[in-house]
Amino acid sequence: MKTLEDFASDGPAEAKEPYPYEGPESLRQPILDALTRVVDPEVAMSIVDVGLIYGVTVSHEKVHVLLTMTSAACPVTDVIKEEVEGELDRLAPPELLVHVELVWDPPWTIDRMSERARKFMGW
Amino acid sequence: MPHPPIRGERARSSAAAIAARPVFLVLVAVSLLAGIFGGLLRVGVMLPATADSAWLGQATLAHAALMIGAFLGTVIGLERAVAVNLRAAFAAPLASGLGGLCLLLGRAEPGAWLLVAASVAFMGVNLVVVRRQWAGHTLLLLAGALAWVAGNLLFALGQGTVATLPWWFAFLIMTIAAERLEMTRLMRRRPVAPWLLSAVLGAMVLGAALSAVSERLGGLVYGASLVLLALWLVTFDIARRTVFAQGLSRYMAICLLTGYVWLAIGGAAWMATALGLPLRDVALHALGLGFIFSMIMGHGPVILPAIARIKLQFGPFFYVPLVALHLSLALRLGWGAIDAQQRATGAISNGLSIALFAATVVGAAVVWRIRSGAEGARKSS
Repeated sequence: MKTLEDFASDGPAEAKEPYPYEGPESLRQPILDALTRVVDPEVAMSIVDVGLIYGVTVSHEKVHVLLTMTSAACPVTDVIKEEVEGELDRLAPPELLVHVELVWDPPWTIDRMSERARKFMGW
Repeated sequence: MPHPPIRGERARSSAAAIAARPVFLVLVAVSLLAGIFGGLLRVGVMLPATADSAWLGQATLAHAALMIGAFLGTVIGLERAVAVNLRAAFAAPLASGLGGLCLLLGRAEPGAWLLVAASVAFMGVNLVVVRRQWAGHTLLLLAGALAWVAGNLLFALGQGTVATLPWWFAFLIMTIAAERLEMTRLMRRRPVAPWLLSAVLGAMVLGAALSAVSERLGGLVYGASLVLLALWLVTFDIARRTVFAQGLSRYMAICLLTGYVWLAIGGAAWMATALGLPLRDVALHALGLGFIFSMIMGHGPVILPAIARIKLQFGPFFYVPLVALHLSLALRLGWGAIDAQQRATGAISNGLSIALFAATVVGAAVVWRIRSGAEGARKSS
């Protein structure tokens, strides 16, 4: 019986940046960890592994996250968005605003999935 | 396909939205409860509390319309309205919920036409989805909406259950299949998989259309397509992989996979009924309860937070109503096929399983509140 965690330590492919990040180095890993805590239970994977995060930019005044969904008919969009905001609110310094923007362009494709997620799904 | 949200049109957590929530909750609960009581009376079970109610007779007559149109149609309409995030989209579930209320009050004709209106509005909502994302699964959602329109029109025109039910079930089945098709994109699959699904669902639509003219031929094609759909789902669904995950993901996968078994049983019984065997209850309820309620139980913990804005704490207790549903259905459709008393006992237990699921959801919401409250207190201290 294998779960996603069993694929965690696989190969150098994981070293690849999961999404473009711009901002202070000190926040890079905490933000990645926070986003990885948001899991889509339907697919048993974090939104980072599914490849739903298109980018994170941290400026002086805000943390800006670009988030996509695999389907325009997905009713849990707002729930996931709120979870992302909640996780980032917890770690971001109080003066930073958290702004999660939903984007549909470019559309999500299978290539966005992380290496371990693809292995979990039998690719 | 990019689609910038149109700001003025977006549904927000306004006062109207907050006021609408209890209205929808009441409409959904009334159609579900009345549908269940009506269904129980159909197998000869009368609950003492409902004995002299005028609405019970109506609920018995309109059992399928209440369960499929007024209850599930409203829930699915709400789910899609939340997804497209447009206030006008809530007209569809409002119309189907009110349609159910009319049916209960003995206003059969306005009730049936409200269901037609609901499905037409719902078709419009799905056109918005297709415009935003042109994909196999969104087109399938639209096809499901069209099947609901067809079923509702046949119902409103008094065409009888043999012609109507295949379309109503096709609406639910295509809605579920669309969601599963979307998920299969994540899993490595043969390129032929979506085409196979199209062929199977095409056969289902053909079977539904034929049922109006030839019960036998239509039923055979329809039932066979359900068996093939079950095989497709068992072969290509990501539940095959997520069943090895933990917690909520595994629970959802188990709901899906066990639901597919009932789908196959329902399909086989549908074919047998078309050939004249007395298995109509098995055909309808393996499908309606075994397959569709398994999907509801599986998706409830993720969909409810989205449409009702209630957070739930998942726990192993969620397995209890699921097991109760499957066991009571096995009793009703197995032993109950030859013994009316067991059939009635099974049907009561089916109802109790659904009540237990509702209680589990309420309990999970309370536990989440207590836990998040405790966490908040710990952080602030």
